[in-house]
Amino acid sequence: MRFLSLALSLYFLCWGTWAQPYPHAAQTNELFTKYCLGCHEGPDAEGNLDLSELLAREQFDNTLIFENVATEKMPPAEADAPAPAEREKILKWLANQQPASIPRPFRRISRYEFVHSINDLLGTELDLAFGIPEDRGTNTFDSNRRIQLSPDMLGSYFAVADEMLEHALPQMGFVKEQTWVTDKLLDSHETYNIYVKDYKEGTLFSWTRANNGNSYSFFYDNFNPPAAGWYELTFESAKVGDLNGDASLQVHAGKYYYADDRPQPQRLLDVISLGSDELESQTIRAFLRPGENVSVHCFHKDNFREKAPKRGVYIRRLTARGPLQDTWPPRRYKSLFGDLPLSIKPQNAAQVSSETETNASSTQALRYRSNLEKIGGSISVSSFQPGMEKENMLDGSNRTFWHTRFEPTLAKPPHFIVIKNPNRFEITGLSYATWTGGNGNGQVEKFEVYTSENGVEWGTPICTGELETRLANEQPISFPEPIAARFIKLVATESFSLDGRSLASIGKLDVIASIDVNLTKKLVAIESRNSEDLRQVVKRFAERAFSSNLTVSELQPYFDVAERVFQRDGDFIEAAKAGFKAVMCSHRFLLAPGEHSSRELAKKAALIRILWLSVPDEQLIASDLSLRGQIELALADERSNRMVRSLCEQWLNLRAWKTIAPSLKLYPLYDDLLEHYLPLETTAYLAYLIRENRPVGELIDSDYSFLNQRLADHYGIEGIVGQHLRRVQFEMDTPRGGLLTMGSVMKVTTDGFQTSPILRGAWISKNILGTPLSPPPDSVQAIEPEMSAGSTSVREQIELPQESQTCNACHKSIDPYGFALENYDATGRWRNNYQQKLPHKNTFKYRPRGYFRLAGEVDSAGVVGDQEFADIHGLKRLLLTNDRKVAYNFAKKFFEYANGYEPSLTQRIGLLEMTSGECRMRDIVINVLEHSLENLAGRGR
Amino acid sequence: MRRIDRRNLLHFGAALPLALHSLANRSEARSNSIKAPKRIIFICNSLGFYRPNFFPTERGNLESSKYLSGLANREKLTVFQNLFHPGMETSNHDSEKSYLTGAAKPEAPNFANTISVDQILAKHIGGDTRFPFLSFSIYDRGWGCSWNDQGVAIPPMHDTNQIFNKLFGEEDLSAKRRQIRNDQKIVDCLHHDMRRLEDHGTREAKAKIATYRKVIGELEKRLAHEAFWLKTQKPNIPNTLSRDSEFAFSTKVSNLLQLAKLAFQTDSTRIITLSLDWIYGAIQVPGATGGWHTLSHHGGRPEVIDKLTRIEMDIIKHLNQFLITLAETPDGNGTLLDHTTVVVGSNFGDSSNHTCNNLPTFVAGGGMRHHAHRVLDKPTPLCNLWLDLLQCHDVDIGKFGSSDENSKLFPV
Repeated sequence: MRFLSLALSLYFLCWGTWAQPYPHAAQTNELFTKYCLGCHEGPDAEGNLDLSELLAREQFDNTLIFENVATEKMPPAEADAPAPAEREKILKWLANQQPASIPRPFRRISRYEFVHSINDLLGTELDLAFGIPEDRGTNTFDSNRRIQLSPDMLGSYFAVADEMLEHALPQMGFVKEQTWVTDKLLDSHETYNIYVKDYKEGTLFSWTRANNGNSYSFFYDNFNPPAAGWYELTFESAKVGDLNGDASLQVHAGKYYYADDRPQPQRLLDVISLGSDELESQTIRAFLRPGENVSVHCFHKDNFREKAPKRGVYIRRLTARGPLQDTWPPRRYKSLFGDLPLSIKPQNAAQVSSETETNASSTQALRYRSNLEKIGGSISVSSFQPGMEKENMLDGSNRTFWHTRFEPTLAKPPHFIVIKNPNRFEITGLSYATWTGGNGNGQVEKFEVYTSENGVEWGTPICTGELETRLANEQPISFPEPIAARFIKLVATESFSLDGRSLASIGKLDVIASIDVNLTKKLVAIESRNSEDLRQVVKRFAERAFSSNLTVSELQPYFDVAERVFQRDGDFIEAAKAGFKAVMCSHRFLLAPGEHSSRELAKKAALIRILWLSVPDEQLIASDLSLRGQIELALADERSNRMVRSLCEQWLNLRAWKTIAPSLKLYPLYDDLLEHYLPLETTAYLAYLIRENRPVGELIDSDYSFLNQRLADHYGIEGIVGQHLRRVQFEMDTPRGGLLTMGSVMKVTTDGFQTSPILRGAWISKNILGTPLSPPPDSVQAIEPEMSAGSTSVREQIELPQESQTCNACHKSIDPYGFALENYDATGRWRNNYQQKLPHKNTFKYRPRGYFRLAGEVDSAGVVGDQEFADIHGLKRLLLTNDRKVAYNFAKKFFEYANGYEPSLTQRIGLLEMTSGECRMRDIVINVLEHSLENLAGRGR
Repeated sequence: MRRIDRRNLLHFGAALPLALHSLANRSEARSNSIKAPKRIIFICNSLGFYRPNFFPTERGNLESSKYLSGLANREKLTVFQNLFHPGMETSNHDSEKSYLTGAAKPEAPNFANTISVDQILAKHIGGDTRFPFLSFSIYDRGWGCSWNDQGVAIPPMHDTNQIFNKLFGEEDLSAKRRQIRNDQKIVDCLHHDMRRLEDHGTREAKAKIATYRKVIGELEKRLAHEAFWLKTQKPNIPNTLSRDSEFAFSTKVSNLLQLAKLAFQTDSTRIITLSLDWIYGAIQVPGATGGWHTLSHHGGRPEVIDKLTRIEMDIIKHLNQFLITLAETPDGNGTLLDHTTVVVGSNFGDSSNHTCNNLPTFVAGGGMRHHAHRVLDKPTPLCNLWLDLLQCHDVDIGKFGSSDENSKLFPV
């Protein structure tokens, strides 16, 4: 592939506006007459295409004709084929006839490029692209130059820039890193409590899914991330009992739910794989925000809903540490501010904490169990039953509780709790939770709140109210205004009682006080008052962000905005942030290509935008490698995985992944683990093909993939233990390997219910073979298959239109690919029979065997052109005979991804030549990049 | 989806202020405020309505339509037959992009959209409310019915709680004010940079700047509009959105319509678009579960049509509830329905065949003279209706999209 002949370079050089020499029109006309006009002439021409009429025109859009000739779809198999040289002549002539269409010279950078660039510039790891609206529309690639910057997107970029700057350089300081331990679970719905039990020093879980099919996850108590940031969650856990292979511990984050047997899905943070019955510590990293809880769901396919389980996953305890900083102070201060001296001041520390050490990465377990503890408060109660003391309200669990005395004598009302607030903190309310799991005796129904300065005189209540019984969630009691009194009394005036006795009980009670006063924060500041220092900081940032050397006059506006803030607030870092934000929101940053001080820098910026979705780092800026060397360097960096992910999401359409939910009736075993790992398999595979420069044919077929225990089980492959992805070698007859048979692709080509050979055929045609598809003609009744009780097989329904000539013209070359994939259900599992959905009684209730019965046998045979295949192996062989087509298509897609527009026909001839020999993935990527960048219209000043 | 915790003013997917020029007219508008303002909502059901259930089978008689016969306030409703968008007699799902714009050939590779009718209204009459317009959709697809004057999609809002907070939630005003001041400084800085490049830059750089200047100009207007509205308290409304998760689709539609009603009632906006967009994947409504898109390709099969009908009936049920609440809400000297034009329609005439002729369309309320069932003699551009509705809102632009003549669909 290094041949890249002179002729080829010529083509690429011609990518500009030159006209290229092209075969004489008369010669080409002869070729058209010889090979095409037999069918495509006159009013009754095939496919309504009258070529002789078209050819007579000065200019016409001939892309479709070009592609059909280039990919040898035309002339059809049964007709005479032109010799390669003749084909080339036709193509060149067509290319020359293409109306000149010059793509817009610039484009807006995508939300992913924006967020990755800023993360790299600031040294943060924030995944905020989600929060910015999708603006890809119906274009295949985010990079498409037709997508314009809209005021809404600019508004979003302003907002995200703020959020990222604030996270990186917080004005109010960093929350000190904390470490805390919890072994208590929050109460869950009684339907599911039976599937866990106290075990040794912690809890044993069996696998259960909620009645609506969601992973039923159990929440940890006393878990509240103090600030948005990265945390380490360390689980001490083990597999218990005779279970084959590893058991999995899924760690989720989300909002705690209770009294809801149809829980909402949680965000899967990571998976811990457990193979041993010895306790071991495993740590995951996760980004958490205040208000998010951590929950766990344990999975092993053999212990579904074992009551009072004897086997499953044992978790002793969870240790959380965070918010984490890479170093202290964070490394980014050095990279953004250079050697300017920092000053680090604790904030509010005097008020709450007496400790003086300044090292934020202290790993000492330091965490208050309640706000009450933080404000130095305490409580006393009117009476208590031994074993149900007041401390039980403060231990962070609503399963242990305080109860008024009932034995040997019944305590008389009033029942109350007095909260002492010696430091006179401002308290805005109380947080109350019932005790759960018992008979409900004593749950408070009505209450009154009093305050006092001496603990003796209480006056009139400051508020009264009612509380829900039988609700485990915390219920806030809001005071009409914040109270700073030394004593607060909560009186239970009415309580639930089974037998009419006067009782009171509380599971959890705490004060609500403003969080800020309770957090130790560390403020990082720069003492410099020198605006020249500020200018240097803004200059360094702007030069990296713009990938250009900048003159003072270029920088002046950015200096001005920073200096104005500096003059107003006197805060160096806030002033720098204003300058940074202006840089991030400027047209030079948001519209690519930017203006660069040299062609070299322009190329580097373009290269890194394509491969890392970011801006070049210092190493690359300084590099004097050849362009090819730079490409290789950038590809070898792990940041190039962003490009692979982009390709999977856009080229292979995996961005639709989460919008398709497989039916739980038909595919009951589909779960969070598959949802998580199936796309990772595809990304890992594609990354491998490129990194290892594998032959293009491995897009279609290979004898390996990247699997873990869950995926292997899904694919029916034995002997894979543990949930880390690794390269797995397939047996000879395994119907896997290549993209087509991956569960990810099989899922995005369905609606989650039935498979559709048409959709799958179209996916292969469009994304792998690059065969152009036309929309159905107006006269056709479109159908999509729907397998319901009593209907015929999918194939019969689809083959109906094949009787009609109109449909057959196109569908004969689309659907057959889909037929071969009928053996894969909507989740990519192998099947020999279709499933027919069965009704369920009453409300849907999840069960692992689903609600279906087996229907007709799958027939995966088909015919493409004049070649027959019996099954997927046959289809793959058939596709592999034309791997050049696959290579050409991949080159075309990668070109479009990299450049933001579809290649012109002249450029396509270049791509065709590039893919004429033996084709390997990395070569194609490098060649397309090299030629795209060589011709970059980047200019110096 | 991760929520962006935002201290700042520019919320995502927000359909924010546009028209600064009308700030000057505000006092005038206020003094006329005894007269209830006119509002309008455009609802696009992107997979069409099964026409045999939608159109009256007996000319002029709404009782003969399965869908419309159940609607309350039928006397304040007109169903139009024979409307279409020229240039997309047949089309694929891209026709949805042109629903409110009328731009031809949306499936063409070099398609560029044009401004949508709601945005024209927003420019003319949107400046008087906190939100010049609002744009909603069911899913996070990034585009819906509203397109700006560059033909760029305005991302609709889809998270109902976020919408609620945007309309009625409390905000930290001091932080917001500071934010606006800072953002205005940033915008000034960017203007300076552009001016410099305009003097010294290459031709390409100048083209970029022209684009960027336009975009940032819009943003500036929004900042000014925001700054103005910061001085006014948001209406205090309890959040009564439904949380039923069994029928998530149904809940979403009904919540979005409830939010639309609240936004109108509190005069937070006067222009709303609602895209009932679809994605691959199954939805569940009472009595039917299935891929909405799959079912829409019913191919005439009765059992499939039955399921599709249940989905559409569910949507009609919510629309009916919407009309009833509007009619029950007093507004000025009438009801909200009298002052709110409700437009319901689709970009597809028949989504089973992907054809776009005879688009199912009805208009309700708005104080117009209604005439139950209007069958047009010949296929008439839908843009004629859009032009007509513009005029009903005192916006006269002469021509819109593919409108061919001022054939009066509504006598004023």
